[in-house]
Amino acid sequence: MNDPIILLSAIIFAPAVGALILSVFNKEAEEGMRVFALITTVVTFVLTLMLWNIFDYQDPQMQLQVSVPWIKAWNINYQLGVDGISLPLVLLTSLISLLAMVASWSITKQVKGYLILFLLLETGMLGVFLALDFFLFYVFWEVMLLPMYFLIGIWGGPRKEYAAIKFFLYTLFGGVLMFIALLMFYFGSAGGEVGSTFDILRLQKIGQGLIPGVEFDGMTQMIAFWLLFVGFAIKVPTIPFHTWLPDAHVEAPTPISMILAGVLLKMGGYGILRIAFPICPQGAQAAAYVLVLIGAASIIYGAFAAMAQTDFKRLVAYSSVSHMGYVILGIAVWKVSDGSTVGSDYWNMGMNGAMFQMIGHGISSAGMFFMVGVIYDRVHHRDLNKFGGLMGLMPLYSGLAVGIFFAGLGLPGLCGFWGEAFTVLSAWNYSPILAIIAAAGVILTAGYILWTIQRVYLGPEYKGPHPEAITPINMREFSVALTLLIFAIAFGIYPESVFGMMRESTTLLVTNLSNTVNSGLEFAGNIIQ
Amino acid sequence: MEPDQLKNWLSLLLTIAWLLPLGGFALEIFAGFWSTRLKKTAAYIAVGCIGAGFVCSLTALCSWGMHTGYWAEHDYLTKFFQETPLGGDHAPADGHAADGHHGSEHDAHHDEHSAHGAEHGAHGHEHDESKYPTVFAGRYYQLAEFGSLQLEIGYYIDSLTLVMFTMVTLIATCIHVFAIGYMSDELTEDYVDHFVHVGEGHLHRPGRFYRFFAFLSLFSFSMLGLVIAGNVFMVFIFWELVGICSYLLIGFYTERKSASTAANKAFIVNRVGDFGFLIGLMILWTSFGTFAFSEPSAEKAAENPGLFQMLRDDHGQMTVEIADDGSHQVVLTGPEGTHKTIPYYLLVAAGIGIFCGCVGKSAQFPLQTWLPDAMEGPTPVSALVHSATMVAAGVYLVGRFYPMFTPEVLVTIAYIGAITLFMAATIAVVATDIKRVLAYSTISQLGYMMLSLGVGGWVAGLLHLITHAFFKSLMFLCSGSVIHGCHHEQEMPKMGGLRKKMPITAYTMLIGVIAITGLAIPGTYFGFQFAMSGYHSKDAIVATSLAYWGLNDQHVLLFILPLAGAGITAFYMFRLWFYTFAGEPRDQHIHDHAHESPAVMWVPLVILSFFAIFCAYDGEQGPLWGLLVHSEPAGMDHGFDPAAPGQIAVPGHHHVHEKMSGDATVHDVAGRYALAVAIAGAILAYLFYGARLLNPADVRRQVAGLHEFLVEKWRFDELYDAMFVKPVHVISGWIAALDRVVIDGFLHGTSKAAVDVSTWDRRFDEQVIDGLVNWVGDRTFRVGRSLRFVQTGRLRQYVMFIAGGLFGVLMLVYILTL
Repeated sequence: MNDPIILLSAIIFAPAVGALILSVFNKEAEEGMRVFALITTVVTFVLTLMLWNIFDYQDPQMQLQVSVPWIKAWNINYQLGVDGISLPLVLLTSLISLLAMVASWSITKQVKGYLILFLLLETGMLGVFLALDFFLFYVFWEVMLLPMYFLIGIWGGPRKEYAAIKFFLYTLFGGVLMFIALLMFYFGSAGGEVGSTFDILRLQKIGQGLIPGVEFDGMTQMIAFWLLFVGFAIKVPTIPFHTWLPDAHVEAPTPISMILAGVLLKMGGYGILRIAFPICPQGAQAAAYVLVLIGAASIIYGAFAAMAQTDFKRLVAYSSVSHMGYVILGIAVWKVSDGSTVGSDYWNMGMNGAMFQMIGHGISSAGMFFMVGVIYDRVHHRDLNKFGGLMGLMPLYSGLAVGIFFAGLGLPGLCGFWGEAFTVLSAWNYSPILAIIAAAGVILTAGYILWTIQRVYLGPEYKGPHPEAITPINMREFSVALTLLIFAIAFGIYPESVFGMMRESTTLLVTNLSNTVNSGLEFAGNIIQ
Repeated sequence: MEPDQLKNWLSLLLTIAWLLPLGGFALEIFAGFWSTRLKKTAAYIAVGCIGAGFVCSLTALCSWGMHTGYWAEHDYLTKFFQETPLGGDHAPADGHAADGHHGSEHDAHHDEHSAHGAEHGAHGHEHDESKYPTVFAGRYYQLAEFGSLQLEIGYYIDSLTLVMFTMVTLIATCIHVFAIGYMSDELTEDYVDHFVHVGEGHLHRPGRFYRFFAFLSLFSFSMLGLVIAGNVFMVFIFWELVGICSYLLIGFYTERKSASTAANKAFIVNRVGDFGFLIGLMILWTSFGTFAFSEPSAEKAAENPGLFQMLRDDHGQMTVEIADDGSHQVVLTGPEGTHKTIPYYLLVAAGIGIFCGCVGKSAQFPLQTWLPDAMEGPTPVSALVHSATMVAAGVYLVGRFYPMFTPEVLVTIAYIGAITLFMAATIAVVATDIKRVLAYSTISQLGYMMLSLGVGGWVAGLLHLITHAFFKSLMFLCSGSVIHGCHHEQEMPKMGGLRKKMPITAYTMLIGVIAITGLAIPGTYFGFQFAMSGYHSKDAIVATSLAYWGLNDQHVLLFILPLAGAGITAFYMFRLWFYTFAGEPRDQHIHDHAHESPAVMWVPLVILSFFAIFCAYDGEQGPLWGLLVHSEPAGMDHGFDPAAPGQIAVPGHHHVHEKMSGDATVHDVAGRYALAVAIAGAILAYLFYGARLLNPADVRRQVAGLHEFLVEKWRFDELYDAMFVKPVHVISGWIAALDRVVIDGFLHGTSKAAVDVSTWDRRFDEQVIDGLVNWVGDRTFRVGRSLRFVQTGRLRQYVMFIAGGLFGVLMLVYILTL
C-alpha cells in the first residue's frame, strides 16, 4: 500500500469498484446494499486516513506523485499527487461522503441506482482533488456531473427536472470554458523538449516563466484566466453565477445537498488555487481587484438574499453563497505595487483563510443541510414561518442544530470563524474599502442565522403541518450531527490542525506567484525543485 | 519564588480558574440525561467550579502580592488597624501624594512632569529595582502562523487581570448561589410559564434548572477568558463568546417571543459594534503585524514587540512626525529596533474601531438600546452578565488597550461616555419596571467609566468598574429577591412598604443605593470612613473631569454632564428604593403575598453588600486603588501635554491634586460639588416618593412631552427600526427579487430564446428546406408523370424522337456556329 499509485488509485476507485459490485446485488436487498455502500465509504475514508498518515507536513511540494501514460498520442497521463492544498479537501470529501451515506438511509426510492450513482460521484470528486493532469482533471470533473444530474433529477423534490437541468447546463457551460483554456494551454505548451502537455505542474512552471523557451504571454494568461475563473466561479458559486445553487439545493435530497455544499462547491475554490492562479499568475494578478470585489459582493449579496428567504433550505443555500465569498476574497488579496508583491504574508494568510473557510464551510454547511433534512423528513415542509417550538419538542436535535448554526454564524471556537476572520483581516492590506464591505457581512450573517433559529427552534409551539410526526432524533441522525459538531468544535478550538497541514504548500504557492510578478516573465531560477 | 516560578504559578492558578467553569459546562449541559430535573446537582457543580475558581484567583492575587513584595511595601492591614483618627477634610487633602506607593517619587516630578522621569519603565510603575516584571505573559498554544505573522492563545497577567479575576469569580460565586434559590421553580417536570399563552392556558414545559447553570458556567469561562487574554485577537474571540452566552441567557425563556427577540437584538447590536472592532483589528494587524499587547521579556520584545511597545516608548510617549505632504505620521518601533511609519489618522481610526466594539458591549450611546431589553433574562443573569461583568468588558478593554488610544480617540470616548451617562440617567427617572431602572442605571454608570477613561482617569474608571460591579450586582440581586418575593411582579407602582416584609433585602438594597449615589460623610472618624465604595470611585471620576476641563477649556460639558448625572442618579436610585420599600403598600394583594427570600438568596446579598461598602476602602490611599495603579499605563501618572494634531492635554495624577481654590484641591472641589448634587437629588426623591409631599403626577402633567420622550427611551428604538431594520429587510427583498427576476429571468430568457431558435430552426427545416426539397422532388415527379405519356413503347415513335432530337441538336450547333 505504500506504493503511491496503488494507494491513490485505491482512494479514487474504491467507490467505483463498490458501485460495480453493487450492480450485481439483488434489487430487493435494500438494507444490504446500504450497508455495503456504507462499508465502501468507510473503506475509502480509512484509505484517505492512510494517505494522511504518510503525508509529510513539512514538505511543500507535491507528494506521492504518480504518472503513467494513458493516451500517448496526446501526451495524456494518468498523473496523480497530493499536497497541502489537496489533502485537506480529500479528507473532507471522504468524511462528508461517509456522513452523507449514513444520512442516505432516508432514501427509499430505487435504492440501488441511488447508491451506485452516489459512489460514482465520490470517485469523481476524489479524482478531481488528486488529478495532476489537466485532461484527467477535466475528465473527473465531467464524470462527477452526470451522477449529480441524475441524483437531483430522479431523487429530488417537486421541481427536480428544472433544478437538475439548471445545474447541468450551468456546470457544463463552465466545463466548456475550462476546456477551451485546456486546449489553449495544451497547444501553447508545445515548446521545450517535452512538447505539448496537460501536466498541471509543468503548465504551472510555464505560466510562471520557469521553463526556458516556452511561455504563456500576458494576453493568453488573461484570456485563459477568465475562462478558467468563470468555469470555477460557477462551481463556487459566486455572484452572478450562483442561481443554480438555491434550486439545486432545494430540490436535491438531503445527503446530496450535504455533498453539494460540503464538497462540490470546494472544487471551484480548489480549481482556482490549483489551476487558474498558478498557471496564469499574470492574468490572476490583473484580475485580482475584480475577484476581491466579487468575493466581497458575494458575501453581502448572499447574506441579504438569505435574509429574504422563507424556504429553510434556500436560506441555507444562500448562506453558502455568502460564505464562499470569503474563499474568493481570501485567495485574491494579492497586492502588487511597483512590480513587487506587498505584504505576501497577508496574502498567504488570506489564502490559508480561504482554504480553512472551505474546510470549515464543508463541515458547517453539510451540517446545516443535514439538520434541515432531519426536520423535513418528519414534517415534509420547509416553510420557515411554519416552524417554531422545536427546542421543546426535540431538545437534543435542536441543541445540536443550534451549535451547527452557530458554526455557520462564524462564532469563535467553532469552525466557521477562522476562515471569515482571517480572510477579512488579510483583506485590509489589499483594499480597505473592500475589507470593510466584507466585514459588514458579520452583522448580516448574525441577523439571518439568529432570526432563523428564532423562527424554527424557539417560540412556544410548532405552527406547521404534521405536528404528530415530530419525534426525537434517532441514533443514526444523532451520530451524523454529533460527528459534524465535534469536527466544528475541534477545528474551531485548534485551527492549527488544518493550517499545519496546508501551510507549507500555500506558502510555496504564494512565494512562487510573488516571484513571478516580481520578476515579470524573466526566469526566477529554479525555485520549484 | 523566582519570577519564572511565580509566572508559572500564577498562570497555573488562573488557568485552572478559567477552565473549571468550562468543564462544569460540559458536565451540566448533559445533566438532563444523567440526572433528573428535580435535583440540584448541576447547580452544585457550577457553584463548585466557580467557587474553586474564586479560591484560585484569590490565591493568585495573594501570592502575587506576597512574592512581589507588594503587600509588605504597602502594609494596608497595619494601616487599617492603627486606627489613627484624622480630622475633617484633611484626609483627601493628604491625598496629594495619592499616587499610592510611588507617591513620594511622583511628588518630585510634579514640577517637571513634562520632563518624564527616566525611571518609569514600559508599564508605568515598573519596579526597576524589583526583579519581578509588572506583567507576566505567555502562550498556551498557537492558532496559526503565516511567515512573520503569528496568532496564539495566550495569557497576560498583571494586577488588573488579578483584580478582575478575583472580582468576577467572587461575584459570579455569589450569583450562582443566589440563583439556586431564584431558579428553584425550574426544579420540576411541569413548569408553568405565565408569560406565554398557548391555546386556552399557559405554557407547560419541563423545568430547565440544569441548563441555566450550564449557561452560567459557559459564561463564566468566556468572561474569564476575555480577562486573561494575552492579545487583542483573543479578546475578540472571547468577546464574541460572552456575546453568545449573553444571547443564550437573555433568551433562556425561549418560549417567550419577547425574550428571544431581545436576545437577537442584543447579539446583533453587539455585532454592529464588533464590525467596528473588526475594522480596528484589520488596521492594527496590517500596520503593526501583531496582536500581542506587550512582551514583558526584553529579549523577546526585541524580536517580537507587542503593540504597546511598538507605539510608545518606556515613558508612554509616541513619536509623531510630519511628513513631506504635511500629514502626521506615527513612528512605530518594529522588531530589532527597525522603524516604520503609519499615518496618524489610521491610528485614530483603529482606536475608534476598537472602541466601537466597546460601545456595543458596554451599551454606550448610540448602541445602548439592547441592554434594557436584555432584562428579559432571569434576574441573576442581569446581575452577572448585564451589570457586573460582561457589559463592563468594554470598559475593561478600553483600560487594557489604553496605550493604543490617541488623545483624539480618548476625547471621543469621553464624550460618548458623557452623553450616555446623562441620557441613560434621564430615562431611569421615568422607568417604572424595577429591573429597567437598574438597567438604565448600569448604562449610565458605564458611561461614567468611559468618561473617566476618556479624560485620563485610568485608575478612577477601572476602580469604578470594580465598585460598580459589587453594588450593582447587589442591587440586581435585591431586585431579584423582590421579584421572587412578589411572584414575578416587576412594576414598582404596584409595590411599596416592602421593607417590613423583606428587611434584609431592603437594607442591603439601601447599602447599594447609598454606594451608587456616593453619599458619604467626608473624612475619617474613630478610624473609620463613613463612605462606601461608590463615593471613592465617583469622586475620583468627577475630579479627573474637572482637572481635564482645567487643561482643556472647551470641554466643559465633560464636567457638567457627570455632575448633573450624579444628582439624577441620586434621585432615581432613591426613587427606586422609596417606591419599593418605603411608605404604604400600593397593591395590597401583592403585599400580602410578599415574603423574605430564603437564606440561600439573602446570604449572597450580605456578602455583596460587605464588598459594596468596603471594596474601595480608603479611596486613593486604599489597597484596591494601589493595586490598579500598579498596572497603570506608562506616562499616565504625569499626564500628557497637548500634542499635534489634536492639541488635547490629558491630566496626570498631580493635576487632580493641585490646589484649586484656597486650600482645596481639584479633587476636593469636585467632591464637594458631587456630594452636594447627590444630596439634593436624594432629598428630592424623598420628597416625592418617601414622604410623598410632592406628587410626581403633577410634574408629569406639566412636562408631558418631555415625559413621553423619556418613557420612549429618547425614541432610539423607533429610529433604528426605521433606519436599519426595515431597510435591511427591504434590501434583502430586492436582492432576492433580483435573483429571481433579473438573473434567473435572463437565464430563462436565454433558454427560451434557445428553444425559440430551435423551434424556428425546425420550422425552417420543415417548411423551407424540406419544402424546397419536396418541391423539387414533387416537380421532378410530376414532370416524370407527364412525360409518362410520351413513353409509349412503340419503336417507330422513338426513332422519330431520336431523329427529331438529332435534327434539333444539329440545328442548334449550326445556329451557334454561324
